[in-house]
Amino acid sequence: MISLSAYLILSAIVFGLGLAGIVINRKNVIILLMCVELLLLAVNTNFVAFSHYFHDIAGQVFVFFILTVAAAEAAIGLAILIVLFRGRKTIDVDKLNTLKG
Amino acid sequence: MLENYLPILIFIGIGLVIGMAALIIGALIGPHKPDAEKNSPYECGFPAFEDTRLPFDVRYYLVAILFIIFDLETAFLFPWAVVLHKIGLYGFLAMMVFLGLLTIGFIYEWKKGALEWQ
Amino acid sequence: MNLAQIFTDLVFFSFAAILVGSALMTIISRNPVRSALFLVLAFFAATGLWILLEVEFLGLILILVYVGAVMTLFLFVVMTLNIDVEEQRSSFVRYLPFAIVIVAMLVILMVYVISPGHLNPSELTTTGGQPVNYSNTTELGMVLYTDYAYPFELAGILLLVAIIAAISLTFHGKGNNKTQNPDQQILIRREDRIRMVKMQGDKK
Repeated sequence: MISLSAYLILSAIVFGLGLAGIVINRKNVIILLMCVELLLLAVNTNFVAFSHYFHDIAGQVFVFFILTVAAAEAAIGLAILIVLFRGRKTIDVDKLNTLKG
Repeated sequence: MLENYLPILIFIGIGLVIGMAALIIGALIGPHKPDAEKNSPYECGFPAFEDTRLPFDVRYYLVAILFIIFDLETAFLFPWAVVLHKIGLYGFLAMMVFLGLLTIGFIYEWKKGALEWQ
Repeated sequence: MNLAQIFTDLVFFSFAAILVGSALMTIISRNPVRSALFLVLAFFAATGLWILLEVEFLGLILILVYVGAVMTLFLFVVMTLNIDVEEQRSSFVRYLPFAIVIVAMLVILMVYVISPGHLNPSELTTTGGQPVNYSNTTELGMVLYTDYAYPFELAGILLLVAIIAAISLTFHGKGNNKTQNPDQQILIRREDRIRMVKMQGDKK
């Protein structure tokens, strides 16, 4: 049988890939948002695996809420992205440096 | 329980095989002799002036975003409908409050005119 | 180990390979459209894995909401913004060694911690297959609207906020476009528009 560790290692790899995507795709905010979706997918897979192996339905409820929050986050993030692109004509992260803190 | 999903897995396998086979056989058997003239872009004798991808109107985006929200609402409705006779009045009222909140949003976007296509 | 278990393992490893491969292609693909499509493939593979864990309702929701709505929205935005593809990748090589080092360290650390030797094996008993009429949706619904009613209403408020935020960010009113109003057009009467003028004709 597939052990819990197999699922955890798989989602660790996917999480690492999502993180690597955030580091190397510094130019394009859309791909950054896609990498955030990958991170959330890895986390959700962890939740689902624990829920299955510990016979606890609460993990699945959490995954449902995470899916809700992530969908709303993607919608609002892309809305902000569109407004940003209208104003600045670019979505390059390095060029979004008007706000100097 | 998993054995219920075996037919779906077989369907996915057959779909993948047929889809890949069409592409691979086409690539292997079809004649493929490119030259400079064949590879050049042609648009009434000129190279293409601009990108072939036309930008979409933002209104498509607004409809898509509202679709996501109400898609999630239906996702919440489905398990509720399955267990409605077991969770009693409390579960019913919980869903009614949820639907009421989203109805407020729906009335807002209706009054704001975000659903009108012109 | 019987044949069914070997088959299940095979399904797991093929879905896992698809998931890792498509996640890799998502982050290294040059074209944002291809990235989005590979992410769709990753979601499908994850759905396969979740159904393998007998979490079929959430797996199908993942396809319905993510592939059906969120990734469509991503593709819309990629098309709407219409970004030049080629100039996007100048930072790719610059950050690549940095990324590989960080991610390799992180993944090795995580894999070391969660490897089978470190987790308590007595807790890792799987159910070994639920009965045929087991319904994951029923299980979820029994707690979602009763025990978790408060987070559920919070999710409703979150969706309401998302609606209002999306409209106020991207919608700028009806605008001043020159649309026709068919209502008023068909209500027009002849007397409002035409004025009969008596002209004195030329006399012969």
